[in-house]
Amino acid sequence: MIAGWETLPSALAAHLAISAAALALALLVATPLVLLMPGRPWLRRTVMGLASVVQTVPALALLALFFPLLVLLRNLTGLPVPSLGLLPSLLALALYALLPLLRGGAGGLAAVPDSVRDAARAIGMSASQRLFHVELSLAAPVVMGGVRTAAVWTIGAATLATMVGQESLGDLIFAGLQLQDWQQVLLGCVAAAALALIVDGALGWCQRGIAERRWAPAAKGLVLLGLLAVGVTGWWLHSRPATQVRPVLIGTKTFSEQYILAELIAADLRAAGQPTGVRSGLGSGIAFQSLAAGGIDISIDYTGTLWTQALGRSDVVPRADMLRILTEQLKSRYGVTVAARLGFENAYALAMRRADAERLGVRSISDLARVSAKLKLATDLEFLSRAEWMAMRSAYGLEFASMRAFTPVLMVAALKDGAADVITAYSSDGALAGADFVLLTDDRGALPAYDALLLVAPGRDDLARRLARYDGRISVDAMRIANWQADRPTSKRSPAEAARWLATETGLQR
Amino acid sequence: MASAPTAASVPPPELALALTGVTLALGGHPVLAGIDLVVRQGQFVALVGASGAGKSSLLRLINRMLEPDAGTVAVHGADVAGLDAMQLRRGIGYAVQGGGLFPHWTVADNIAAVPWLLGWPKPKRMERAAELMAMLELPPHLAQRFPGELSGGQASRVGLARALAVSPRLLLLDEPFGALDPETRDELGDRLLALHRAQGLTTIMVTHDLADALLRADLMVVLDGGRVVACGPPAEVAADQHPAVQNLVATPLAQARALAGMGK
Repeated sequence: MIAGWETLPSALAAHLAISAAALALALLVATPLVLLMPGRPWLRRTVMGLASVVQTVPALALLALFFPLLVLLRNLTGLPVPSLGLLPSLLALALYALLPLLRGGAGGLAAVPDSVRDAARAIGMSASQRLFHVELSLAAPVVMGGVRTAAVWTIGAATLATMVGQESLGDLIFAGLQLQDWQQVLLGCVAAAALALIVDGALGWCQRGIAERRWAPAAKGLVLLGLLAVGVTGWWLHSRPATQVRPVLIGTKTFSEQYILAELIAADLRAAGQPTGVRSGLGSGIAFQSLAAGGIDISIDYTGTLWTQALGRSDVVPRADMLRILTEQLKSRYGVTVAARLGFENAYALAMRRADAERLGVRSISDLARVSAKLKLATDLEFLSRAEWMAMRSAYGLEFASMRAFTPVLMVAALKDGAADVITAYSSDGALAGADFVLLTDDRGALPAYDALLLVAPGRDDLARRLARYDGRISVDAMRIANWQADRPTSKRSPAEAARWLATETGLQR
Repeated sequence: MASAPTAASVPPPELALALTGVTLALGGHPVLAGIDLVVRQGQFVALVGASGAGKSSLLRLINRMLEPDAGTVAVHGADVAGLDAMQLRRGIGYAVQGGGLFPHWTVADNIAAVPWLLGWPKPKRMERAAELMAMLELPPHLAQRFPGELSGGQASRVGLARALAVSPRLLLLDEPFGALDPETRDELGDRLLALHRAQGLTTIMVTHDLADALLRADLMVVLDGGRVVACGPPAEVAADQHPAVQNLVATPLAQARALAGMGK
């Protein structure tokens, strides 16, 4: 069976629900605006201008922007406004759907010929009769065209809601991308595309019915939409485990190590009779925020990341002090418990091709600083804006010929084929186990430690106790090999399979 | 709005239409200035003049599509400013160039638009539409077609039928046959005149077709720069020496003479 198949019904149902809700909200906002537009050119200009500006913001950025906005709103009002999951997704997707709806509505009304408007007035129709029987009726096909566009966009953009912690078909796509499990990516994409096509087709029937003033096609469209909703809901209910208890949720960021460890812990908890689910593909900062807010129960995070992102510190302190301070402050400031230090580090590091390193005599970052001005650096998407890079740059005086950001899975390929000479890597990165690269040592201690920690949400001390036995059990070599099993291009293993190997290897399996 | 009724400002009821000192500006530009005009019941009035002379605006003042800045408009003896605009419009037939039909309504529904507004039951509306289609020589099978499927001449007939649906006494036409070929225009002009006479209508028609106006109207009104520069039976108006009048009538009269010469 294709990986991700068992999560498909739930992801599909969530995807359809969030898309429908966002579209409904957008319709609720757009309708009065469109009806107020005729005769108010200033309103039309303002609203269309704003909607166009919104459209220039990439959907992913728009989703991400709602997170700080909602946090700010929560802090200002003191109300329990959720900043992750459903609410930001709903708001961002609705905002994104506004432009096509407004365009369709305003365009449709503007396209009603003046002679027809005039005739409607001249034969003695009231303002509301003119609006409903003439203007809206004539505009309806164009308006429906806008609804169709909005629906297709929303279904497409909803895949990105995964990044702010809302379940969607994006779960499959992002997990698959990270694991280079193209079947799973394809499954998510095909499901989203099929959903978009079916909805577009159904709305197309409705549009045709409206345009031709015939009930049959419109009814066909509505029946198709109804069947879709019933079918997806039914499949989801059918596939859902019978238990009514909310499962323990393990949140993961977007890389293999996180998926593997989540599967390891999930299998462990399930074996003990605890229903457990995995919310995969959360953005880096969002996983922690979601944990602190109780949206997920368990996450795997790293000391250096928490040091800067959760505590807002940029100083470098000894490893033991950092762990102690984090344990205290995460508890006092967020209620989050550090249940275990897993025993390996996933630190930011720089890697080079072995042949280059030997030719140039580079072993450490200090060595690299001598020759870096001629080299091309490839980083992950966030490294260049992180405090670690600032610290590394000022400690070593690093300058590169060029610097480009890549998605993590492509960085290794970039180094292999010469698109880059130096890449950011992680010390537990599986690719380092499988390629002829060298890791450069941080000889001046500029970077904080990145010890992997198991974190538990506030109020779940029961879980913290159960997870304490993981403390110090996973070595960096074991983690690197498990990562390589999931990341390697051939005879790839699923995260669950890699997790089983890791459990046996480390003796964690009972 | 309504001025105090005096002997001078309340016209006698046999007058279908009386405009007194009507002035209108649109968007800051003067359109009509001090228009006085009286139309008796049963008259067929042609409203002519160069483009921008204010013909259509004058027509639209009558059913309150526009409101005058000064002066009064009285229809059948009643100042329209005191009437409900929607009721007034439903009681006055109105047709424009190309028919102004609702593209999403069938021919029958278009024709029965005003009866629908007045709440007539559907069978009665359809019966009336069929009657009017016969009157205007529209084949019955067109009843369920949509305006987009009609020829220009057919659309104009449907527009006219819609205007006549509830047997109004006053008919306002804004270049109803404007975009048609000369033959169809002439045929429809005759049909209109016959209906006008048979039903005892009062008709005010804006037209660019001077031959149409000269040959069919009882009363010809020439507008120029927002003023009435000539008003009377077509034969008298044609002889008027006002340059605006001569500009309009010289060419059609010369053509008519030349054509008459050929016929001999």
